[in-house]
Amino acid sequence: MLILRYSARELLRHPARSLLAVLGVAVACAMLLDMIMLGGGLNASFRSLLTTAGYELRVSPAGTLPFDTGATIPEARATREAIERSESVSGVGPVLAANLLEAGRDDSRLFVLGVDPGEQGIYVLEDGLDPGPDEVVIGRELADEGLSIGDSVVLRPPGSFADASAAARPFRISGQADFLYASAGERSVALNLEAVADLTDRPDEASLMMVRVAGGLDPEEVAASLQAQFPGLQIASVGQLVEQAANRLSYFRQLAAILGTVSLVVTTLLIGTIMAVSINDRYGTIAALRAIGISRRSLVAAFAVESLLLCLAAASVGLVLGLLVAGQLEKILSDFPGLPAAIRFFVLDTSRIAWAAAGVLIAGVGAALVPAIRAMNAPIASTLHREEP
Amino acid sequence: MRETSLGGSALLEARDVRREYRLKGDLIEAVRGISLEVRSGDFLALVGPSGSGKSTLLHLLGAVDRPTSGSVLLDGSDVAAMSDPERARFRLEHVGLVFQRFHLLPMLSALENVELPMAEAGVGRRERHDRATALLRRVGLGDRMNHRPGEISGGQRQRVAVARALANGPSLLLADEPTGELDRRTSADMLELFQSLNEDGTSIVVATHDLQLAEGARRQLVLVDGRIQP
Ligand SMILES: Nc1ncnc2c1ncn2[C@@H]1O[C@H](COP(=O)(O)OP(=O)(O)OP(=O)(O)O)[C@@H](O)[C@H]1O
Ligand SMILES: [Mg+2]
Repeated sequence: MLILRYSARELLRHPARSLLAVLGVAVACAMLLDMIMLGGGLNASFRSLLTTAGYELRVSPAGTLPFDTGATIPEARATREAIERSESVSGVGPVLAANLLEAGRDDSRLFVLGVDPGEQGIYVLEDGLDPGPDEVVIGRELADEGLSIGDSVVLRPPGSFADASAAARPFRISGQADFLYASAGERSVALNLEAVADLTDRPDEASLMMVRVAGGLDPEEVAASLQAQFPGLQIASVGQLVEQAANRLSYFRQLAAILGTVSLVVTTLLIGTIMAVSINDRYGTIAALRAIGISRRSLVAAFAVESLLLCLAAASVGLVLGLLVAGQLEKILSDFPGLPAAIRFFVLDTSRIAWAAAGVLIAGVGAALVPAIRAMNAPIASTLHREEP
Repeated sequence: MRETSLGGSALLEARDVRREYRLKGDLIEAVRGISLEVRSGDFLALVGPSGSGKSTLLHLLGAVDRPTSGSVLLDGSDVAAMSDPERARFRLEHVGLVFQRFHLLPMLSALENVELPMAEAGVGRRERHDRATALLRRVGLGDRMNHRPGEISGGQRQRVAVARALANGPSLLLADEPTGELDRRTSADMLELFQSLNEDGTSIVVATHDLQLAEGARRQLVLVDGRIQP
């Protein structure tokens, strides 16, 4: 279409102006994309992290979230069996967490997880085997420190115990694993539940139990019925945990919503200003074109296409920029203390990209319509009278 | 001055047309009751001092503007009674307009500028191209069709504007100071073009200060203070 060719070339008539507008809107678009990725990203990645190993429910001591406090579930064995007896449950994996010291190598601290290797969703083996009674599976941190399968690690309880060094026990490294919930830099290892119970003198306790729901059942319903059955425990589905986490992290989403809105406002103002300047420059020509019979609709369409082209160019630059920035921010935020390193703050999918692009295009074209429609309402004869000498 | 008697039927009829403007509370009577008739094949020049209402009258005759009172019949239609979009469509199909400042689109070639009103009227690509080519040849620009307005002279630009005005085969060509930005030589060429178009049957009304151009028309009307001088 001829009028579209006009729109495209009109942008090239002022290359510096168009380029500045494109760059400005690109930055706004990048910010919008990042905020859209951040807003929903946490929830999505937290949910996928919690379900990685296939356990849909978490059982923790009453009134706490998993690993929230040092509190433990008492009578862990009996509790596990009781839960396992439920028809709607297909597996229960107890976890007992402890901070132990690695004897010898300057007594550095380790985050130790006691598990039942046949029923656990805490780590994913990358090499070697699950731990036997005197064996340990190490995380990447320790592997990076030079330990490997076959080496041994001596563990002992923290030194406040009088006979702490007497309780020290060597463990042979049987495997290396990815600890799903480890935060950045956390030195994690996994032992058999009994070994941790032994070392910490807590013979029948668990910090947490992970529950696998029988096939086809709704985790929320199973959680509710188990909760009724075990009022002394806190039983939550992954969905509920995500919701709780989302509430705790809601300031991230508020930040994202505010900054996302700011970037849309910036887009609107930038495109609105550029188009207003550009249209004001052309008042005489617009009046002349209308005088020769070019309809308002054609002219408004031409201006809409002009801003659409600007926004398309800006969006393509902006989306790339947004992804690069998100990558950098992700690196910074993944070191957030106490949060599992596997949590992704920025989650990318095509629908998020589409939303960011659509937001910029709609804001941009909408902004162009204001000066365009205003120009269409200027009386033709008077404008010509003013513009012709 | 050439013969005024024309055998053609009335193409344009203005009856007691008035146009007033309100400007900061003052009433400006730009056109104060003008009646005139333009027959098919006519070439009329509107002359008169600055501010006498020539442009205002031209806009009323060309359905660009609506009279405060009175009627304008063009091609049998009462222009004053039409809605805004109707008048735009009417201008597109029945009126050709030429401006002092050309008002061509700088980023389109001469050919594309001439095609623009045809595209608006829904003429197909091929036909548009052929007709625009023929029109540019007709105004003597067969060799500059792919040049943009910035790449040709003022006189040539005004020729492109004339070709654009003729794009949809209007029954009336209206020009407001078409030689206002041109030198004497080029103005003479423009007059020649108008005369030759007129001889081919195009009806023309020009508003002008250019005596040379006015004298080349078939007849003149002198406006003073928004009225026709008897
Ligand atoms: N849109 C408008 N608003 C207010 N006054 C106007 C408007 N258009 C024209 N006028 C006034 O109407 C009168 C006639 O103006 P017009 O432009 O028709 O004169 P003209 O004969 O074309 O003058 P020129 O030879 O300078 O082009 C002038 O007094 C002018 O100031
Ligand atoms: Mg004038």
